[in-house]
Amino acid sequence: MTAITEANLPALPIETAAFSRNPDPFAAAARRIHPWIARFSQGLVVHGYQATKDLLADDQHFRPGFSPAVAFYGLQDHLWGRFMEEMLLSVSGEKHKRLRSSVAAAFTPRRANQVRPQMRKVISALLDEWAPKGSFDFAEFGAHFPVAVVLGLLGVAADVDPTIQLGLENQLSSLTFDPAAKPLFLAGWDVLWEFSDRLVIEREASGLHDPDALLDVLIEAKRKGLLDETELRFMLLVLVVAGYDTSKNMLALTMRQLIARPDAYARCAEDIAYCGKILDEALRHSSITTPYRTVCEAFEYDGFQFERGTVVVFATALAGRDPAAYENPLSFEPERNPNNRHVAFGRGAHMCLGQHIARAQLEEGLHLIAQRLRNPRLTAEPTWRPFLGTWGYKSLPIAFDPSVS
Amino acid sequence: MKITFVQVNGVEKTIEDARPGETLMILGRTHGVEGILGDCGGGCSCATCHVYVDPEWQTAVGPPDEIESATLDTVSNVLRANSRLGCQIVLRPELDGLRVTVAPSG
Repeated sequence: MTAITEANLPALPIETAAFSRNPDPFAAAARRIHPWIARFSQGLVVHGYQATKDLLADDQHFRPGFSPAVAFYGLQDHLWGRFMEEMLLSVSGEKHKRLRSSVAAAFTPRRANQVRPQMRKVISALLDEWAPKGSFDFAEFGAHFPVAVVLGLLGVAADVDPTIQLGLENQLSSLTFDPAAKPLFLAGWDVLWEFSDRLVIEREASGLHDPDALLDVLIEAKRKGLLDETELRFMLLVLVVAGYDTSKNMLALTMRQLIARPDAYARCAEDIAYCGKILDEALRHSSITTPYRTVCEAFEYDGFQFERGTVVVFATALAGRDPAAYENPLSFEPERNPNNRHVAFGRGAHMCLGQHIARAQLEEGLHLIAQRLRNPRLTAEPTWRPFLGTWGYKSLPIAFDPSVS
Repeated sequence: MKITFVQVNGVEKTIEDARPGETLMILGRTHGVEGILGDCGGGCSCATCHVYVDPEWQTAVGPPDEIESATLDTVSNVLRANSRLGCQIVLRPELDGLRVTVAPSG
């Protein structure tokens, strides 16, 4: 048994711009030294499909959470640090169960399907505004609808506060371990906290109650003693933050693949079930998340001893491109129908709570976008966001032929 | 406790030493029952531990609650009146002898 700290592992320059732009050559070089694990500046990177599946599901030996990032920025005593360490994605066991159960009913596949008409309305309204332009940055366009959808789920008017989008923009840059990100995400944090706090106070003062509005479900959970005041606000924020970069980046990455496949894109306009197929392959080919875990109890896996305290990040995008799990992994093939199901939504107790909502809004989004933005083409080279946190395009400039419907 | 799974490949697998308190999903996954995946670790959010409860056991096992029923929508194309999610069935002595069939993926 080799201690993982002593093992001869390759280094992945996962924090660099070159890696973010094209991780594949780096991953290929790393795989020649070890097939599923590498090092990076803050710990280990698991990038093999099987290991990702096994270890992400291991809720016994791993603790989720962002303590490494909080410690890196020295923000343990800041409210942002508390949020990062105490919110839904960061806690385990009974507390996690309690927090998750307070919102579970709003995230079932049934509920996701029930809100599809509302999603279509929001997306159509955005397209009415944006489609006549004939060209725009698709990444910027895509940033609008996850916010509108989540506010709709909360039961809050979609035009409530345009500044929260700015607040959201830099939140997950905190996971890049880049000191330059700190003032940006902290400024955004203040906006988001204020937004969340005001939302609760104003709703409670209004006397309104809509059993379908998630905000009221959460306020009710607080009244029943299932959530305290801070947990309620953290829960609102985690729903907004977790649904933002993830959905918009996934949408833009999928769009990029479709621009190169005009036939598939045209079919998306006609056939929403096909949009689901495209999405499955996009989630396999270009997953955007890098979940963090810390070893909380020493264990052995595949010949390695993992010691308590070891920081592990899971590169789900690379797991989807693991040649041991997928044939021609770099090729985008919607008809692939793989035996190995993608790991984009994770595994285990922390599997993405919003996966059904995310799928529904991305399917509806692709379907309507393909109807309204005909013949999309790239007008400039896209630029990339950091790989850690939520990977994806910073900009995706496109031109297209607007269509009324 | 004795629990029998008809696996998704049609082959029966009987587990003789199941313990009360664990869930049917954990039991199936621990024993490598074909088709019991349990992706979400028992959180009732992925429907990858879908089983059909044998009719004579349906009353003892009971119906799904509201959230489980809504999650079963994921597998609506293979849903039956006796569908349950294994992660929501906690084994108890009255279920000794239970027999379920693992549903195909939706």
